[in-house]
Amino acid sequence: MTIHRVIRKVQRFQGWFGGGAALCLGVGLYLGLIGSPPDYYQGEVVRIMYIHVPLAHTALLAYIVLTIGSLWYLWKRDPIVDNMCQAVAALSAVFTALALGTGMIWGKPTWDTWWTWDARLTSFTVLLLILIGYLMLRTFVDDPEKEARYGAILAIVGFVDLPIIHFSVEWWRTLHQPQSISMRGVSISSGLLVPLMFMSIGMSLLFSYMLMVRTQLLYLDRLLHAKQGRLLSQFHLSKSDS
Amino acid sequence: MPGKKKVGMIISILLVGGALAYLALGNFGENVVYFFTPSEVKAFSTDYYQKKVRVGGMVVEGSMETYPDRLGLTFQLTDGEATIPVTFEGIPPDLFKEGQGAVVEGYWTGEHRFESNLIMAKHSEDYMPIELKRAGVELPRKDFMKSLVE
Amino acid sequence: MTNLYLRWGGVLIVAIVFIVLTYNYYRDHLASLVPQQVKQEAPTGDVRVLGMVQGGTLETRAAGEATFTLLGKSATLPVHYQGPPPDNLRELKILVLVGTWNAATQVFEARDIGIVPNYGFIAGAYLLGLLPLALFLFAMARRVHFLYDEIKASKLYEEE
Repeated sequence: MTIHRVIRKVQRFQGWFGGGAALCLGVGLYLGLIGSPPDYYQGEVVRIMYIHVPLAHTALLAYIVLTIGSLWYLWKRDPIVDNMCQAVAALSAVFTALALGTGMIWGKPTWDTWWTWDARLTSFTVLLLILIGYLMLRTFVDDPEKEARYGAILAIVGFVDLPIIHFSVEWWRTLHQPQSISMRGVSISSGLLVPLMFMSIGMSLLFSYMLMVRTQLLYLDRLLHAKQGRLLSQFHLSKSDS
Repeated sequence: MPGKKKVGMIISILLVGGALAYLALGNFGENVVYFFTPSEVKAFSTDYYQKKVRVGGMVVEGSMETYPDRLGLTFQLTDGEATIPVTFEGIPPDLFKEGQGAVVEGYWTGEHRFESNLIMAKHSEDYMPIELKRAGVELPRKDFMKSLVE
Repeated sequence: MTNLYLRWGGVLIVAIVFIVLTYNYYRDHLASLVPQQVKQEAPTGDVRVLGMVQGGTLETRAAGEATFTLLGKSATLPVHYQGPPPDNLRELKILVLVGTWNAATQVFEARDIGIVPNYGFIAGAYLLGLLPLALFLFAMARRVHFLYDEIKASKLYEEE
């Protein structure tokens, strides 16, 4: 029995992603907390943007990866793709929850409210519910093949929330401000844009690294369980070891 | 326990299905607007009087007045077409400012005055240091007023 | 396993050093006093004072000049502001003033005005954003190491 070649590749290259994430986040944190000027309107509290926006971007990026992975799984039925989907769903849920949490902390000193049911906040909460539902569903299905298939379908259906989140600030009247970076141009001046870029790139790299680690974790778990006979799915074994 | 598992499956599917149904059909999107504009408030029928609503608009420059003896203020809220007077009790948020967007929650009274107990400051999507702002730099932005009038 | 703990120990040390340095920077450069402290301690040189502009006391003389009373919890401070036209100066607003205390006239000479910095919210957001991610990643990395060890021990694994 050998370790899957994709996992071996991941093992070899994941360090670059982790190191890159640490570097970008380190520079981003220094620039964001100390090296950048306060905003003309919000003052110092604008610094929360450098953590909130990258978390929210990454949560959406993670869901896009989940959707692509789910489609790929339904097409190829490769269990290692399913491991990746399960891993990315958990990460997307964590990033979504943290984006909501940091957003609440940003909302209090700026809007003067922790929470309000405007279109952006509501659609983002719906994303969290979809992801929790996805992860719950997976724990309740016994057959791994069915678990993977049901999950993939659920994830693809849930994708409709993503355009709603993105365009919520344009389609409806919201308390949340519109996108700063869009087709209209960039409405963040360079002094504040540079730390945001560092944090965004760093957060994406951190997400990639975490995804690699978690996919490995789920794969190894499956490998061990399958071999120990606790999970008698010949389907998953034969696919992963071929 | 297969029974328990089935219940769990149904719950999780309901969770996602319910969330999506809420997006598609529920009181989200076009059915309920997050806030009204001052023009809409002025056109309110008497049904809306004494009903808790939110109104969004720009705080008119030079319209804000405070009381010397108690916490509270009055100001005018506009969407470019109509302007309504607002009274507020309490300390307004830090970012509440004349010439900036705000969403106020409260009641439209029969005397055509909006009595508010909650102000939420709406900030725009442009961010820049104070030096640039004082130098008069303008960043590309979507006009908040336009988004109200459309 | 040792490698993992060494790596994460390094991350922890760097994080602690960064937090301590940032905290020191904020304390030395950006901490503010309250009006009663200014009156009692009569500090010389530039200080930051935090308080609320008392309702009905603000008088604007010119575009960049104003007088008002700054309200603290147990003391008030007469303030004379002169500087760039202020964006945030209005009654009932909590502000941070930068300037010097004139002990002779008992007036605070402010030359810059900023809104409340809310450092607590900033620190809270960064800790909430990064700490769970770090703990989650650490738990996962540890589990992966553990699984590799177990796979090797159970002789399921063949070296390439």
